[in-house]
Amino acid sequence: MSSFALFIVVLIYLALLFLVAHLAEKKKSKIWINNPYIYALSLAVYCTAWTYYGSIGVAATSGLNYLPVYIGPIVVVPAWIYINTRIVRISRVNKISSLADFISLRYGNSRSFSAIITLVCFFAIIPYIGLQIKAISETFHLVTETKISPNILTDSGTFVVVLIAVFSSYYGTRYVDASEKRLGIISAIALESFLKLFFIIILGLFVIYYAFDGFSDLYQKASQFPDFKAKNTFNGIEGAMNWMVLCMISGTAICILPRQFHTAIVENRQEKHIKTAIWFFPLYLLIFTVFIFPIAWGGRLIFNGQNVNPEFYSILIPQHFDNTLITVFVFLGGLSSSISMIIISAITLSIMLSNNLIIPYGLLGKFKAENETQNTRNITNIRKFSIFGLIIVAFAFYKYFILKTSLDSVGLISFVIIAQLAPAFFGAIFWRRGSYKGAVAGLSAGLIICYFGLIIPQYYFSYNSELKGILRDLYNAFQFFDISFLTRIPEIFFWSVLVNTALFTILSVSMKGNYRERNFAELYVDIDKYIQNHENAFIWRGTAYVSDIQNILERFLGKKKTEQAMRIFNIKYNIDSQTETADSRFIKFSENLLAGRIGTASAKILIEGVTKEDKISLKEVLNILEESKENITLNKKLTEKSEELKQLSSDLSTANENLIVKDRQKDDFLDSVAHELRTPITAIRSAGEILADDDDIPLDIKREFLNNIITESDRLSEIINDILYLDKLQHGEIALNIQENNIIETYKKALNPIFHLIQQKFIHVSEVDLLNDYLFKYDEARFIQLFQNILGNALKFTDEQGIIQTKFSQKDDNLVIKIFNTGKNIPDEDLKLIFDKFYQSKNQNIRKPTGSGLGLAISKKITEAHSGNIKAENSGLGVTFTITLPMKNIVDDNTEPEGFNFNSPG
Amino acid sequence: MKKRHEQKLIILSIGLFIAFSIPISLLFNSEKEVFGYPMLLVYVFAVWMLSIIISFVIVKKYDE
Repeated sequence: MSSFALFIVVLIYLALLFLVAHLAEKKKSKIWINNPYIYALSLAVYCTAWTYYGSIGVAATSGLNYLPVYIGPIVVVPAWIYINTRIVRISRVNKISSLADFISLRYGNSRSFSAIITLVCFFAIIPYIGLQIKAISETFHLVTETKISPNILTDSGTFVVVLIAVFSSYYGTRYVDASEKRLGIISAIALESFLKLFFIIILGLFVIYYAFDGFSDLYQKASQFPDFKAKNTFNGIEGAMNWMVLCMISGTAICILPRQFHTAIVENRQEKHIKTAIWFFPLYLLIFTVFIFPIAWGGRLIFNGQNVNPEFYSILIPQHFDNTLITVFVFLGGLSSSISMIIISAITLSIMLSNNLIIPYGLLGKFKAENETQNTRNITNIRKFSIFGLIIVAFAFYKYFILKTSLDSVGLISFVIIAQLAPAFFGAIFWRRGSYKGAVAGLSAGLIICYFGLIIPQYYFSYNSELKGILRDLYNAFQFFDISFLTRIPEIFFWSVLVNTALFTILSVSMKGNYRERNFAELYVDIDKYIQNHENAFIWRGTAYVSDIQNILERFLGKKKTEQAMRIFNIKYNIDSQTETADSRFIKFSENLLAGRIGTASAKILIEGVTKEDKISLKEVLNILEESKENITLNKKLTEKSEELKQLSSDLSTANENLIVKDRQKDDFLDSVAHELRTPITAIRSAGEILADDDDIPLDIKREFLNNIITESDRLSEIINDILYLDKLQHGEIALNIQENNIIETYKKALNPIFHLIQQKFIHVSEVDLLNDYLFKYDEARFIQLFQNILGNALKFTDEQGIIQTKFSQKDDNLVIKIFNTGKNIPDEDLKLIFDKFYQSKNQNIRKPTGSGLGLAISKKITEAHSGNIKAENSGLGVTFTITLPMKNIVDDNTEPEGFNFNSPG
Repeated sequence: MKKRHEQKLIILSIGLFIAFSIPISLLFNSEKEVFGYPMLLVYVFAVWMLSIIISFVIVKKYDE
């Protein structure tokens, strides 16, 4: 393939990444933000070109040693539920944007410590980035089958590197606040992680099924190699020991590598995404690793006896079979793994460089004088140039130092150097007493051992063939410490971490800590307690004015954002906005606001510049912390209590409202009763008056009046009876006489007395019977009353020649009786109210002409007494009353009632 | 997630460390073959698989 064509492919590929980053950044929709798989895939930035090419080389040449790089992480990953969740919380409340911030803040927010950590990361990661560039450049030349040009300016690999540098510096610095989430770039990384996995699967399948006849064929052939068995077992206890230490190295690296810290902690959008990563990430690594074995052994079989670099088997195999498509796929997969590592590492290193080295040591004074726009531009530019610069430095490093060495060793050396941060890092989350001095001393000692043990031997030999002079004497002197059964890298890891941890712990316990350090130690270790109001946990005493601090904030955040932030702060802590003096909470709050932009160390220095802090003893700090811890627990209890009270008071107010409603109902009821009673009384009285006043009334009229008096008196006593009856029903004073009865017969008994009234209006009455059983348990007398009330009601509203239809059925263990009558609909808002006592419709047309007005209320009570319910609904041309009774009253007796004649009257 | 369920994952992590360390890993260091493949490789990948399944189950079951 020609260089130009491949270059175009790379360009298109980068354009695709730009597009994804751009879309994710622009849309910011929930699908992108809430997606746990984007987070989990972005963690796979762990798999770099080293995995993609290097592991295959290791598997082919030194057997099982390719596995520890993946075994280490999968051992640690389940514990993320505890470790990473806490680190994420600590970082969120303190606005931590890099590894250096995280460690140095814990040890008293020290400027020098954060600078040291930055330098460690810088020197450990630059060769690692160089390694990626080496992989890109070499595979580029491999695919295009060209030689690496000795002149950098004409080498096509250089252009690819410059392209990547531009991409990262553009997308990596979109926000001036470094703790802000970079959704665009993370989405692009996630896509790359997916693609590199996809491409290696394609290659794996290609090797297994195209180059060989399935896996067993490949395995059969590979096992013919004389060293096959040795390469797939440990070389005795020594091999197992080395293997174990390598696992430990990579296990530490997965937590502390700056790029892992960045993707796992700084870019964590939601804590719950960690849970998905816990199973997804090991699965990703598993799929990746499964294909290394067949590719490595397939490569050995294909190129047996030829002098080729096994690290590039994955490109050479498809090339050997003249399959350009898969060759390019594999190249793009390798490119993805390299680019994602380069981008994330460069971004996080640039944040560290700017926030922990360049700004606190050089530009802070300048920033104090400038305005917000100027400062924002400066900070972003610093980061932009450092990203670009870093990639170029790494490129130079690759060109002049690591041309000869393998991918695997460079990667592992980086891991061991980064592992020197482990004691301080894990100490920060678990150990209150760990101190600044111990951490720095341990780190320095560990680094010195790494320098002499790993870096000199690795790079010295790039230029000299053997050790000379003093150096030789030095190495001879330390020969005593050689561990014969460990190889070089595990050996140095063991010694450096041992000395590092020993110094860290011993110095920490033998010296009194600084109060600020202890303050942050409490905040880190007890993060779960302080998560809600972490500003309270910051202890500070002295004089400070809000206006001074505000002035500083405005220089970095701008006037509008500062005011907004201060308003939020005042509301959160219930502080009067006119307050002039600043307390510890405001100082911590302001430091947090600045931390994302200029780093925690610089934020502290800036705030210190405008405040005057009084000395505080360690003992005092501990006392205050103890108190504030108690206060927080107390607060929690108080909040719970007040929640309870709130609940109680809301219950009370609901009860009160209910009572008011009841009271009004009672008044309405009394009004209605008075009204209903007055109507017949008025009739009786007027008839009586006429009879008393006038003796000459003809006899027949007199009789009519007397009859009226009798009917009205009857109605009066009916109303009074109903009221008393309803009252008794309501208070449960009427005992139900529940017996087994035939529901149809009961219905007939109810229908008969009113049958002639129905006939008078020429109303057609019919029944539909869908019952299997007829025997139910209920109080028959009450049911007769119930039917009569509803039928009577129906009768009143049904026009002449209308229809009344009753339907009996069973549904879901319920007896359902539907009584339908044609006639005017009930207004929807009244459907529930008609069962109230003395319901009177607003619509006077359908106001009941006769009766007590208690019929439906009584019906409702009767059904409720049988634990059923009744409801009315408008259906088509009329109204349906539905009575539902639970079947448990049904008797298990299927005998058909004998001689029951079911015909329709009317 | 409750503390108790979090601790299950931490125990899994410790268990994995032990499984891949001396002396447990050495038990499987044999030239014998299981299911036709080197015993050690089968062991490593089986433990790996198992750990994924266990973490998946714990995470999904006790998610709140």
